[in-house]
Amino acid sequence: MKSKKRKKPKLAPSKKRPERLSKARTGSNETTFVAAAAPTLRLQMDPAWEASVTFNLQLLMRHAALVNEFALPDEAEPAPVFRA
Amino acid sequence: MKPSQRRCFVPNASKAELDGMTASSIAAAVSSGAINAVGIVEAALARIRERDPRLNSFTAVTERRAMLRAQAVDAGRARGELAGPLAGVPFAVKNLFDIAGLPTLAGSKINRDNPPASRDATLIARLESAGAILLGALNMGEYAYDFTGENVHDGAVRNPHDLERMSGGSSSGSAAAVADGLVPLSLGSDTNGSIRVPSSLCGIFGLKPTYGRLSRARTFPFVASLDHLGPFARTPHDLALAYDAMQGFDPDDPTCVDRPVEPVTPLLELGFRGLRVAVASEYFRCKNTAVSSAIERVAAALDTNFEVKIPEAERARSAAFIITATEGASLHLDRLRRRARDFDPAVRDRLLAGAMLPASLVVKAQKFRRWYRSQVLLLFGKFDAILAPATPCTAPFIGQRTFMHGDVELPVRANLGLYTQPISFVGLPVVAAPVPLKPLPIAVQIIAAPWREDIALRLAHALESLGVAGATPSAYQIKAPLGASDGDQPAGRRGRSQNCI
Repeated sequence: MKSKKRKKPKLAPSKKRPERLSKARTGSNETTFVAAAAPTLRLQMDPAWEASVTFNLQLLMRHAALVNEFALPDEAEPAPVFRA
Repeated sequence: MKPSQRRCFVPNASKAELDGMTASSIAAAVSSGAINAVGIVEAALARIRERDPRLNSFTAVTERRAMLRAQAVDAGRARGELAGPLAGVPFAVKNLFDIAGLPTLAGSKINRDNPPASRDATLIARLESAGAILLGALNMGEYAYDFTGENVHDGAVRNPHDLERMSGGSSSGSAAAVADGLVPLSLGSDTNGSIRVPSSLCGIFGLKPTYGRLSRARTFPFVASLDHLGPFARTPHDLALAYDAMQGFDPDDPTCVDRPVEPVTPLLELGFRGLRVAVASEYFRCKNTAVSSAIERVAAALDTNFEVKIPEAERARSAAFIITATEGASLHLDRLRRRARDFDPAVRDRLLAGAMLPASLVVKAQKFRRWYRSQVLLLFGKFDAILAPATPCTAPFIGQRTFMHGDVELPVRANLGLYTQPISFVGLPVVAAPVPLKPLPIAVQIIAAPWREDIALRLAHALESLGVAGATPSAYQIKAPLGASDGDQPAGRRGRSQNCI
């Protein structure tokens, strides 16, 4: 019995590639930061992973910017509240 | 023991009929003596042996344990003991639940080195107390950081409606096993959408209860601030039966809230009349035709044309991203330092990036979370439930990297939870209700106020009764009834042995 041949995965059209899909920018602040932070934090970091980690850090920093720009009063409490 | 207790005893049901039985119909049949639990379990094990090589949903089958348990259920009935509400119902759990005697994999390679769990997770124990029978552990995305159902260690879970497509994740096996009828009930976890996304892509019902409602004791965590556990089933009635059996305070879980058990099963037939329902607008408005069609059908059936804006939903998603990345990285920091090469690369690189985020961001995200919660709760003064898409598209192909969201191309892995993250971020109860569109199903989120799972389940039940929502038979169940050759299974899966206890 023949095994079922796997179809090649269909990729979405690539006519529009927004900034979100761009690869990590070499020479960016995040690239420098990742290279410096890994040994500081004692994280294993193969050079081959740096571009992907940097890409993910850039994605997180875009989300962080959205959170950071939202004004909250100094008295705002974090969601989890510790009770003694 | 009588022969009828040891062997399959199914006087009035064919194998095909057993295949399609819901949890409630199994429980009723076992309770009445029409079918015995051993027969139900044997049939389910046969389905798993026959069909799971195509799906790749199970990572361990607890056959001996299941047969012993089934014999005990039948023996109890023979002694005249009252059968539980889930008597004889086979179920399986995402492999981040502790199962006594098995290591808790959480979809990883690293956890295979851990000793076997000494006790079952609380929710497994509660389902078994209600008469249900555990059949095994289910495949999942590594450490639950996944929306696709792909796993570099155990292989991708395949969508029963099209084996070339994703099941969704991270509770991938939990959804696929139920969608293909291998088991009528399963458990999964949902941190950012990991119950609702695979429910949508596989076309079954899923319940993410209120944060703190169901015990997480003895399950492998991901993001303590956002982790929920919940059931998958082919009907809202089955979801309700399982949910009712699992409710109740558990001192072993510090986040489990001490509330009385609030049974929802007796409330299902109350219908949708009198409930105020609105459709989430703006951020949740989707140009994908399947998504918009599903929302329109559900809104029409519930006779509503109200819209409501959930304020700052996009920012809520971003805050969920930050909390997820940092708490996840904190959980795995030691493993990232010692065994980074043993992670799925897609998970590892996200966690490494999360480990580098400053603490100030996390605090800000948690402060925003409290503000956002207060704004969302205001909406439930006007409405009892809010409808929103569960996923921005139907199931992508396995290996597909991007999809079109309107006129923007987005990565699949990070964005299948586009519409689920802003909801779980503040712990609201949600039922993912599948709309059986052709060629692929897609689900709508029915979102209720905290602790009002009853409303979400009532609406899901009403939609099922109206024929608008419902689980559809899988492609295998329609085209290839029992007895099909295993020579058709996808490459890369054949020959992988399952753990058995």
